[in-house]
Amino acid sequence: MTQTDNKVKRPLHLIQARKMRNYYLLLTIFFMIVMIVWVGVPILMTIMWSLVDPKNPWSYPNVFPPSFSLAQWKFVFDYTNIGRALRTSYSVAPLAVLLSLVLSLPTSYVLGRRKIPGKKLFMLLVLLPIIMPGMVVALFLSRIFTTFGLSQTFFGLVLAHTLMSIPYMIRVMTTSFQAIPQDVIDAAENLGANTFVKIRDIFLPMIRPGLLAGMIFAFTVSIEEFNLTFIIGTPTFETIPTILYSFMGYNFIRTNASVVALLMMTPNIIMLFIVERFLKSDYLAASLGKM
Amino acid sequence: MKEKEISPIHILMLFPGVGFILLFIGSSIFLTLVQSFGVFSITGNSLFTLENWKVILQTRESMDSLLFSLKMGILSSVGTVVVAFPVALFFRKGGTGKGILGSIIKVPLFIPALVAAFLILNLISYHGLVNTALMRFHLINEPLRMLNDKFGWGVVFIQIWKNLPFVLLIIMASLASIRDDTIDAAKNLGAGYWSILFRMYIPLAMPGILVSMILMFIKAFGDFPIVSVAGPIYPSSIAGRMHIMATIYQEWDQAAVLGVIIIITAFIVIWAYSRLAEFVKGEI
Repeated sequence: MTQTDNKVKRPLHLIQARKMRNYYLLLTIFFMIVMIVWVGVPILMTIMWSLVDPKNPWSYPNVFPPSFSLAQWKFVFDYTNIGRALRTSYSVAPLAVLLSLVLSLPTSYVLGRRKIPGKKLFMLLVLLPIIMPGMVVALFLSRIFTTFGLSQTFFGLVLAHTLMSIPYMIRVMTTSFQAIPQDVIDAAENLGANTFVKIRDIFLPMIRPGLLAGMIFAFTVSIEEFNLTFIIGTPTFETIPTILYSFMGYNFIRTNASVVALLMMTPNIIMLFIVERFLKSDYLAASLGKM
Repeated sequence: MKEKEISPIHILMLFPGVGFILLFIGSSIFLTLVQSFGVFSITGNSLFTLENWKVILQTRESMDSLLFSLKMGILSSVGTVVVAFPVALFFRKGGTGKGILGSIIKVPLFIPALVAAFLILNLISYHGLVNTALMRFHLINEPLRMLNDKFGWGVVFIQIWKNLPFVLLIIMASLASIRDDTIDAAKNLGAGYWSILFRMYIPLAMPGILVSMILMFIKAFGDFPIVSVAGPIYPSSIAGRMHIMATIYQEWDQAAVLGVIIIITAFIVIWAYSRLAEFVKGEI
């Protein structure tokens, strides 16, 4: 950088560029503070609520709890069904992801790589579970599930979660199938690659980022699915969202709800930071950016 | 990309995904529709009747719930886009510390809706942080009622907080597709800051804005848990009303009518927005 007391007058565009840089730096700092407050404060409050000591309750004029303890955590694990709910949530989600993966692979391949009449319509139909309001689907799907004896069963729950996560899966994977250059496939075919080799050496490596992104979306959708679980699963099966709802409903216990809330979001946030690089805005945007 | 022709086996390959969705969603839409007219009724009397529609359309509670949910849908979708757009514009420009900011702002995307509701209601409750802070600075004399308020601002705020990253990602993608040359050209031709914003960025990002507004509207309109936790005591959301109708009053046929109203509203909104999107595309 040139010294400011330099006698030579600096060109205008450099001065302007420098002004712009300072301006953006200020803007970045401003946004950083806003975002940390926007995201951080609610989470911090919840952490504090979950650590309130029952002997020294945290009440109105105090900005911070007078003392901390792990009593609330112990209480939630000892006297509520949270353990079972955690087990249910984390066993339904992988199965739902797996099922939606298996179901959506062939469909996304065809939608992504073949010329099908009415492709736009199919892409729209795939979005139906997202577009349809959850409660309507939940109530009337539960009637159908009851007819087939699927209501209040583990398998029914897996099916329901698959239904909610499959749109993200198909959309994301269709986009990644579309992104494979045809030349590569043609070249492989010319060199005598059969279907198996093509799948192993071209399709799988090239759709892997999309596959992972789709699986992550499907997983989070399943973990936070509420409407269908609430209607089809309760009271036989409780997942974390339905147990949190019960803490927030008629018997509102803020400290217990804080513990459950933290249990529910910590794995998700850790996952977000691990998979950050697969989530470069493109996947969600490319798959949902068009109706 | 060159697309290859199809064979019957490819049609078959569509079935696992599309068929699965159509089987379950289609059958539940069908059941909702016929049951609202009393066919396949749970009580066993399968008879075509318009009675349920009359009852629902004449009760004040149902109409209040419908209006309330519409209000929540519109306010949440507009609110989220208004908050997200400046942030997306900021992210479009390169700068230091952007990567970490991007991660932080994406956090709510991975926080389940109910947890988000809980996080925010800690802040805005009667003796929550916001009210305490405002009281400390003597800006207000007594705590504001932001949670379970009559209007539903609490619900709107929760929806905005939770869905901001989702909308942000979609709008950022459509802003990213605008080439810098275009903006530079406009600047060279003497366009000021505001005219670049209103005549370049917003129109060019319009498809993304519209899609995110549709998805947001449907989420907020059909929402049940957030309104029941943070919304006013009366009216409930239309989905909540339907849930009460079906599970507490056991009036499944009337619940089906509410279901049909929800579905029709959702489709009308999608249709209206898609027409709007075509109109915008034609303009550019």
